[in-house]
Amino acid sequence: MIELVRVSQKYTYKEVLKDVTFTAEKGQITCLLGLNGAGKSTILKTIMGLTPIHGGSIRIDGEEINQNTYERVSYIPDHLAIPASMKLSDALRFMEDFYSCWNKDRANELMRFFDLDLDERAGRLSKGTAAKFNLVLGLAQDSDYVIMDEPFAGIDLFNRERIAEVFSSELVGNRGVLLTTHEVKEVEYLIDKAVLLRDGVVARSFECEQVRSEESKSVVDVMKEVLLT
Amino acid sequence: MNRYLKLVHLEVHRFRYALFSLMFLTAAIQITGLVHTTQVRVKGWREAARLGEHSTRNFSFADVIGDLQFLFAIPILISIVVLGLYVFLIWYRDWIGRDKFAYRLFTLPTVRRNVYMAKATAIFVFVFAMVSFQLLMLLLERQLFNWMVPSEYRMSSLFAEAVASNLVFVRFLLPLDGIQFVVYYGIGILAVFVLFTAVLLERSYRLPGIVYAILYVAVCGAAIGGAVYLNLYNYFYPREITAIRFCIYLMVMGFTLTLGFRLVSKKITV
Amino acid sequence: MNKVNEWAGITFNSRDPVYAQVVRLFKEKIVTGVIQSGQTIPSRRELAALLKINPNTAQRAYKEMEDQRLIVTEGNSPSRITLELDVLRQIRAELLGTAVEAFVATIRNIDVPLDELLDVIQQKYTEAQAGKRQEPPEAPFESGEGGNNDD
Repeated sequence: MIELVRVSQKYTYKEVLKDVTFTAEKGQITCLLGLNGAGKSTILKTIMGLTPIHGGSIRIDGEEINQNTYERVSYIPDHLAIPASMKLSDALRFMEDFYSCWNKDRANELMRFFDLDLDERAGRLSKGTAAKFNLVLGLAQDSDYVIMDEPFAGIDLFNRERIAEVFSSELVGNRGVLLTTHEVKEVEYLIDKAVLLRDGVVARSFECEQVRSEESKSVVDVMKEVLLT
Repeated sequence: MNRYLKLVHLEVHRFRYALFSLMFLTAAIQITGLVHTTQVRVKGWREAARLGEHSTRNFSFADVIGDLQFLFAIPILISIVVLGLYVFLIWYRDWIGRDKFAYRLFTLPTVRRNVYMAKATAIFVFVFAMVSFQLLMLLLERQLFNWMVPSEYRMSSLFAEAVASNLVFVRFLLPLDGIQFVVYYGIGILAVFVLFTAVLLERSYRLPGIVYAILYVAVCGAAIGGAVYLNLYNYFYPREITAIRFCIYLMVMGFTLTLGFRLVSKKITV
Repeated sequence: MNKVNEWAGITFNSRDPVYAQVVRLFKEKIVTGVIQSGQTIPSRRELAALLKINPNTAQRAYKEMEDQRLIVTEGNSPSRITLELDVLRQIRAELLGTAVEAFVATIRNIDVPLDELLDVIQQKYTEAQAGKRQEPPEAPFESGEGGNNDD
């Protein structure tokens, strides 16, 4: 379980996150929803230790962030963080070199699933292809959790569907997924749990099926209700 | 350790073309200069011999290197400037550009101080690679000189004389005194760490961080400079002064590394 | 088995629990004979992938269907549609019931005697059946897109 308790962050006196508390369970897909600038990406970055927090605590299966965290939680940022000159095959070797949890077979499977070319250079990929390769790098790790920042942003419809398929597939398997998106429709049926953020505060967090059966509301409905009022 | 070495490899790999370019530039400028000057000298010697001026002195490799003060200094100074800038760029390049590699670098499963140390090591590798390359070039250039100049015009010189005849070598690159060499490069290494930590101050605290960084560099610079020019010979024996200097360097180093490691592991924002 | 044809293009209503809609989808497929009783069905995760839904939702739908004895799962073998005729009959009755309820609700405000209504129903029903015999509007999935059933 990824657990955030009263996490706060300031950036030169501006509060970016305020008392953010939520959990993302293993075997579940949890989605951070909110408008741009609500603090979604920042939360993911705090979990990965890419930006400091000024209050509260973050624990992953009860442990604070340390270097082993990165073997257990794979992070897929909103861009392909691979030098432009690197060939995809080099990038895969790079990952294999550093991660003991790297699963070469799964990497190959993913490369086939997304129909990617090993000889292409990272800098020459189209946005959609880069996003797919980015998923390969994250999902080929035998990690317990996968954290994805805006996996659908700027991707065309066809590629979006291909990416959405990954969530229900064996490629994600029984891992815990935590993702951010502002394209709720894309994930309406994919997610177990939604955490709505507004101006760095958790406005509401809920189980999607529960809201559908108890309030007859869709995730989009709740989001509109909470964020636009 | 293993991942540290991989990180060093990664950093060296990323700079390899720049390094090769610097080497090529150095070789090209120095060889051109050497060939030209040697030709002029040989021509002059022949001319003088033809006119029967017996006062013409034979010349040595060291003389030619001595003639080439400026031309030899150019590539070396360029290299120093490039490597000096790269001390900053080695960090900032991970934040800029489409790939924003910092996201990957700082989520690698290794302690963050390895990232810091790998970048520092890479810089040292570049510096020593350039210095070794320069030494190698001098050997090559001497060979070239020997080929070009008929032995009857030639005066032999020690390799050390050749180094000593060019200011840029004696002053900056290759102090011939062993202790001085160690002090030079020791302070150089220390300076790299101080600048790294300054960069991390800025990367951690951004705008106010620039102020912290400048103050930090000023304080460390003052401490190091103070140590270098420590002049307490009336009170201490020279050996004691050396010990005091060494302690100051160590303290600056210890503090810089501690702060740098802390910033890179806990405070940095990608 | 042509899975692509079978499950593609199904849209859900985002305001009702998805697991319940999946259960209903299965019931419809059973009643309309698209899936036969005794037939094996996709695993939970396969179904989730085919319908592009959350695997836990698929899991919950299967659990629900097991509780309603709609499907049976023995040990590690794949789940199958039940062979119990009682259950199948019950589903048929249930779907028919809800469909008729909906129909009645729509025409409730139209002032029409039951006899006349039944006549209309009979007429429309005969027409529909005749049309169906001429050209099957919805071919059963098995014969759907010929041999193009590789994944």
